[in-house]
Amino acid sequence: MRYVDEFRNPQLGRALAREILAAVDPQRHYKIMEVCGGHTHAIYKYGIDALLPPNVELVHGPGCPVCVIPMGRVDDGISLACRPEVIFTCFGDMLRVPGSERTLLDAKAQGADVRVVYSPLDALRIARENPQREVVFFAIGFETTAPSTALTLRRARAERVPNFSVMCSHVTIVPPLRALLESPDLRLDGFIGPGHVASVVGARPFAFLPEQYRKPVVISGFEPLDVMQAVLMIIRQLASARAEVENQYARVVAWDGNPRALEVMREVFELRAHFEWRGLGFISQSALRLSDAYARWDAEQRFSVPGVRVADPKACQCGEVLKGVIKPWECKVFGTACTPERPIGTCMVSPEGACAAYYAYGRHAREPVPA
Amino acid sequence: MTVLEVDRASALAVCLGARRSSGERGERVSVEVALLEPVAVGELLLVHAGTAIARASIAPHASPAAHARQERA
Repeated sequence: MRYVDEFRNPQLGRALAREILAAVDPQRHYKIMEVCGGHTHAIYKYGIDALLPPNVELVHGPGCPVCVIPMGRVDDGISLACRPEVIFTCFGDMLRVPGSERTLLDAKAQGADVRVVYSPLDALRIARENPQREVVFFAIGFETTAPSTALTLRRARAERVPNFSVMCSHVTIVPPLRALLESPDLRLDGFIGPGHVASVVGARPFAFLPEQYRKPVVISGFEPLDVMQAVLMIIRQLASARAEVENQYARVVAWDGNPRALEVMREVFELRAHFEWRGLGFISQSALRLSDAYARWDAEQRFSVPGVRVADPKACQCGEVLKGVIKPWECKVFGTACTPERPIGTCMVSPEGACAAYYAYGRHAREPVPA
Repeated sequence: MTVLEVDRASALAVCLGARRSSGERGERVSVEVALLEPVAVGELLLVHAGTAIARASIAPHASPAAHARQERA
């Protein structure tokens, strides 16, 4: 397939691995954060970590949209799902995210009308088909997914669908990156930038990384050669003492992103003053809520939502994993009490979660998989 | 996803998803294309949550093979 097969070519992958080996300073340890959960998944699916020199360490970032949803927010969703008049719709990977006592899947098993949708447009269709019910869409995701929610709300308003609403839990990527860089826990040398978020917001918003923190960032695609090329570009920046935004994913990402997507997001959303991130705590201006023009479709205004804050289980170390402070296998419950079948933490639930990627591809211990 | 049909009035397109394995056919799905209009049959789109958010287009110098040639030179 165009743009896919050529980015999985094993010969070119080996050539890139040799170039990376030639470019690294053997006396230096490199810590490079891949921001997006899609990159984490690609790294372990294709064994990219095993192709890198041992002094190049990949650190997993906070860019998995399911992983960063706090337990209290899941409880809020469950409270809406349990209302008898509500059809609660969400993406499939939200179903098994643990709340304080149960998951949306448990609530469904206990009689709540919870339905999985592929797109918010599907939720709007369900609302049209069930005018006597209230249909709530649990909107999660970064700037990649937010335009889809925004367009659906625009349609709901144009078509005057009165029984549709959105519980908006969209988050934005720049504030948690700032929070990570301000944290004393972590020393990072560079970033593999999130290609899909950048397809919407562009490469420009990541300029603060080199300008304010002197960290190179390379916006990258999600095929194995994309990620390897991004690593090489970061190492070359570091070798020449440069710190810049480079765009490896030029086949999709424009410097200014998708202007129409940004316009519809500006119309439908506004920034929340604060939002709680799992493991990262409250980060100011890091999430979206519906603008006043769309208040009528805001589930949090239409219904009473508890809005309680729930502490993560003590055994779960998702917070440290999301901050890149520990590797998934260093968590006390990884692969024992916490598995994809019975997850305790969000990072084990979503396919984009670092723990799920480690578990799925056999990275259960410190030993690297041979190249 | 590859565009198969476009309905301009509704800003929707029928698209063919990527194959998950070589023997499998991609899935046909309805995609919101309002953020990229106009789209044409045969174009390759990046789709998230049922909405096309970007086009894929590659400059000849940006392919991995071109990169390898450049490095050799």
